[in-house]
Amino acid sequence: MTTLPIKTSPQPAAIGTHLSKVSSVIAFARREFRDAVSSRWFILYTVAFTVLAVAVSFMSLAGSGSHGFAGFGRTTAGLLNLIMLVVPLMALIAGAGSIAGERERGTLLYLLAQPISRTELLLGKYIGLAIALCCSMCIGFGLSAGVLAWRVGGVGISAFVMLVLFTCLLALAMLSVGMLLSVLSRRSGVATGLGLFAWLILVFLSDLGLMAGTILFKLRVQEVFAIGVMNPLQAFKMAVIVNMNASLDVLGPVGMYASQTFGGMLPWILALVLGTWTIVPLAIAVLIFSKRGSV
Amino acid sequence: MFRLQFIASLCVLLAVVFGVQAQESHQSPRQSTDEIAKLIELAEPGSTIVVPAGFYEGNLQINKPIVLDGQNLVTIDALGKGSVIEIMVGDVTLRGFTIRGSGLTIDQEPAGVRAVAGPVIIENNHFEDVYFGIDLRPAADSVIRNNTVIGMKHKLGRRGDGIRLWWSPNSIIEDNTIDAVRDMVFWYSEDLSVARNRVTNSRYGLHFMYSHNTILADNELIENSVGIYLMYSNNITLIGNSIINNRGSSGYGIGLKDCDAITIKNNALLANRVGMYIDNSPSSIDSWGIITGNKIAFNEIGLLSTPITHDNVITNNAFVENEEQVTVHGRGQLMLNDFSKDGIGNFWSSYSGFDKDNDGVGDFPHEPRSLFRSLLARQPNLRIFLHSPAQQAIELTARAFPELSPEPIFIDASPLTRPPTLDLFVSTQTQSRFPMIVFSVGLLAISCFGGWLVARQKPLPKITDTDPSQRAFV
Repeated sequence: MTTLPIKTSPQPAAIGTHLSKVSSVIAFARREFRDAVSSRWFILYTVAFTVLAVAVSFMSLAGSGSHGFAGFGRTTAGLLNLIMLVVPLMALIAGAGSIAGERERGTLLYLLAQPISRTELLLGKYIGLAIALCCSMCIGFGLSAGVLAWRVGGVGISAFVMLVLFTCLLALAMLSVGMLLSVLSRRSGVATGLGLFAWLILVFLSDLGLMAGTILFKLRVQEVFAIGVMNPLQAFKMAVIVNMNASLDVLGPVGMYASQTFGGMLPWILALVLGTWTIVPLAIAVLIFSKRGSV
Repeated sequence: MFRLQFIASLCVLLAVVFGVQAQESHQSPRQSTDEIAKLIELAEPGSTIVVPAGFYEGNLQINKPIVLDGQNLVTIDALGKGSVIEIMVGDVTLRGFTIRGSGLTIDQEPAGVRAVAGPVIIENNHFEDVYFGIDLRPAADSVIRNNTVIGMKHKLGRRGDGIRLWWSPNSIIEDNTIDAVRDMVFWYSEDLSVARNRVTNSRYGLHFMYSHNTILADNELIENSVGIYLMYSNNITLIGNSIINNRGSSGYGIGLKDCDAITIKNNALLANRVGMYIDNSPSSIDSWGIITGNKIAFNEIGLLSTPITHDNVITNNAFVENEEQVTVHGRGQLMLNDFSKDGIGNFWSSYSGFDKDNDGVGDFPHEPRSLFRSLLARQPNLRIFLHSPAQQAIELTARAFPELSPEPIFIDASPLTRPPTLDLFVSTQTQSRFPMIVFSVGLLAISCFGGWLVARQKPLPKITDTDPSQRAFV
């Protein structure tokens, strides 16, 4: 008894291999989606996000008859803050619970006993959770769009569509980070704690740190932009504003620098940042998960 | 059969008509501007010449007091060389021409119409593809009325001025429409009347340099780099102007630099980067500024001022939903200005007090303190963190620990609590709400589809009925 092939045993090259891999990923995604949607925290977040999104839409429209006129829509400004608080929290916690939870419950071994690779397991879980998150946000955005259509009309629809798309991208990135934390931790409590800590860093501490740095070291615009844009939340915020205004002049000298330097490329660069935050942590998670022990 | 014939004959008729038209326009006579020069040569001074309709090429110099009327049927094209029309003597009227194709050399500054003597009347003309539009230098007591100037769409700095007055006092500039030029600029010209002009897509909508004693009324300045910029010009009244969406790199709706005795009344300053910028105005120690009855709304900064600014009376304005209502360039306070006088202040959409006795004046003074704003004034680069949770965290900290809270930059002792009528800026967009409804329904459908997928899922097969032999024992 030297080395048992615990991992995927080399299977005979069959025509259906790829197909079966895909279908097993789908099966896992489906299971994950179902588990997520029926879990209590998920329903709680969905309800909270929906209620807040609709409330923000209502309240910011109540004040004046100015919609679509201002450089930066009040509704989007309100929604933006809400999204930047709730969505990363939701996605990080969802991701953090995924593997660590199974591990703690002892079900991970059972899952790994299925004829699939660890990569497929992780991807399946990721896809299932991603779809669940996007569906959850669609409820909030859908009702919010309904409020806008009712009260304002079709003003700024393209910007709103981009807002939804970039929010989904942000959720994917944060989910990816959450899964990495989950793979790293043995217990789900630890994973959740790490997730909360990551949320605190990304949402508050990194920005506050950069603010302090800007004041203390008198950072130049290009430095502030380069450091700031590395934060997926800042990238998300800039992307939303760029899509709404076609310029970042709302964000002062740094924003103008970015607009003038990158011009039409800016939305793509910001999307690339979010894409990197999606792919890199997930790839690291896959690597670590396939190397580490099961329990 | 009859019908078919009818249609066929109609087609033939149409073809003939259009063919003839095409031929006519193709054959339109291209005459030289010498023809007009000959007419002027023959005319008595002070008489009126109706220029025959047509397309004239070349430059034209007017050396005789005369009225030239194109009746909107005459086009003069300088074919990219020099100024199109030069007026060398006073008492010339130019009316109803299309003037195009000036040169573009910077040292000559060729214009559509250049007048070097006044008074002249230039009205009802259309300028296109010209470097400078109308250039008076100098031509006092002139009238520029109801012209359209469309500039060459070069970079802002490479464009010429749409209308420029140089040392031309007592002139009237009314009802002109200017697009895609550099500035509409007035140098050393006093006692002007500038009214109902519309300037779009240019650098400075209206620019005053050392030009005193003027009223600017009912002008529209939309999507320029800067709306109105007054520099070193005293005793000017701005009234009823609409200044919207001027968002260039400085992006001021109204900018004041070292101007005394300025009255700014009943203007609408909307969605500019900075609604109003006050740079050391009034500059004299005993002078004043009055800013009243304006609607300053949806700008990134409502009122921006240099810290030394003093003696402005700012009352009865509506500051509505500017991202920052009032701020100081650099650090400092605006305590030397009156934000309220005789119990009347301004309306602030950000006022957080209340009005218990319902007299329209808030029971607490409006003294905004914002830690993040004061940080912004110190380090403008921090503006990148606007609209982020970190900004809110800072504000919350300042509220929790009042000793961190900065001094207010101004105090409005009697803020108005009744919002002004916002009729001026109700959105004029009438887009269909259909796409938004579709999008809303689509998003909800996606999530419903997700829910349905879950509900539809069969439960995992339970391990029962696998062995029929066991069933007997159960």
